[in-house]
Amino acid sequence: MAITAAIALLVRSLALLAPLLVSGCLGTMPAPMGGLNRRLEAIGSSHAPALSDRWLAVIGGRGGREQVVLVDLERQMPVPLPGLNRPDAQPLAVAVDTSGERLAVVRQLEGRTELVLYRRGLMALQPVAMEPAGVPRRISLRADGRELAVEVSRGGVWQVDLIQVP
Amino acid sequence: MRGAFVAAILTAFVCSGCGSWSWGRRSAGPAGLGASNRQDPALSGDGSVLASVVERGGRDTLLLQEQPSGRELPLRSLRRFQPHRSPSLSWNGRYVAVLIQQGNRRLAVIEDRANGKLLRFPLPGDQEVERLSLAPSGRRLALEVVHNGINRVEVFDLANQLEPDLPAGVRSGGGAPAATGR
Repeated sequence: MAITAAIALLVRSLALLAPLLVSGCLGTMPAPMGGLNRRLEAIGSSHAPALSDRWLAVIGGRGGREQVVLVDLERQMPVPLPGLNRPDAQPLAVAVDTSGERLAVVRQLEGRTELVLYRRGLMALQPVAMEPAGVPRRISLRADGRELAVEVSRGGVWQVDLIQVP
Repeated sequence: MRGAFVAAILTAFVCSGCGSWSWGRRSAGPAGLGASNRQDPALSGDGSVLASVVERGGRDTLLLQEQPSGRELPLRSLRRFQPHRSPSLSWNGRYVAVLIQQGNRRLAVIEDRANGKLLRFPLPGDQEVERLSLAPSGRRLALEVVHNGINRVEVFDLANQLEPDLPAGVRSGGGAPAATGR
């Protein structure tokens, strides 16, 4: 009698779990990339990640001084970004294209929040004006780096602008 | 040699903001009924899909739109578990990674739009996920995790979880894209 009840309970439990199993809803944790994550730990605190296959851009640093860090995931090493980071600027958001050539950065500088586009090969920084005027916050870059999606605050309303990058 | 040097200087000059390159701009357009704020934009690798978070019924809800038409694309599992935040898309928009709320926990999930399957990535109880970013190929996921008050980015390998979402003409074995973007 007890065995029959136990079997019935087991069947009912399996019936409840089956849809979860079929739909793939069970939690699975992917494998952490140990070596890379240890490298990232060495940066100090880090936030605002942007992945583009070979490249990972983050904002990180120690002692309250933060900068944009671009990590080459194949070599698991940060690469230099000459002309991008400056001590009086606070980066807020970053995006990178799949070639690692273009980075879009939202930063605070001299009390203003601005969006800039950095071209690594040229070591050149170009401001991207908000039109109509607004305050940029989060950004996303298309894989080829030719289009930007920007979250902009205008008159207390958050909007999204799409900007073609020449 | 000298010509190339002059060209490089000129290019850098133009990029410094003194040039007259035109930047095409447009608003992502209306976000649907009753929605005023639109936040957290994310473009798919090829730019054909835009994800953003809009207010629907007072709850931050993921919105997927085909570009440039603005046509809303359906989601299956992600129509619930609001508030949503920090969406990220794979190359063709097949995979949508986003943070959802489940009970008192925030959770990173990925919906496979090809079959509606939802992959969940639970973290240990003493860690909270703040932001995420999915690689365009779908091969890696970066999570910003808060542990003991410190924010730290960690990268995870999804090779055993997802089949790659690559540009047309690229095999999963590797190689450069036949055409990047539009």
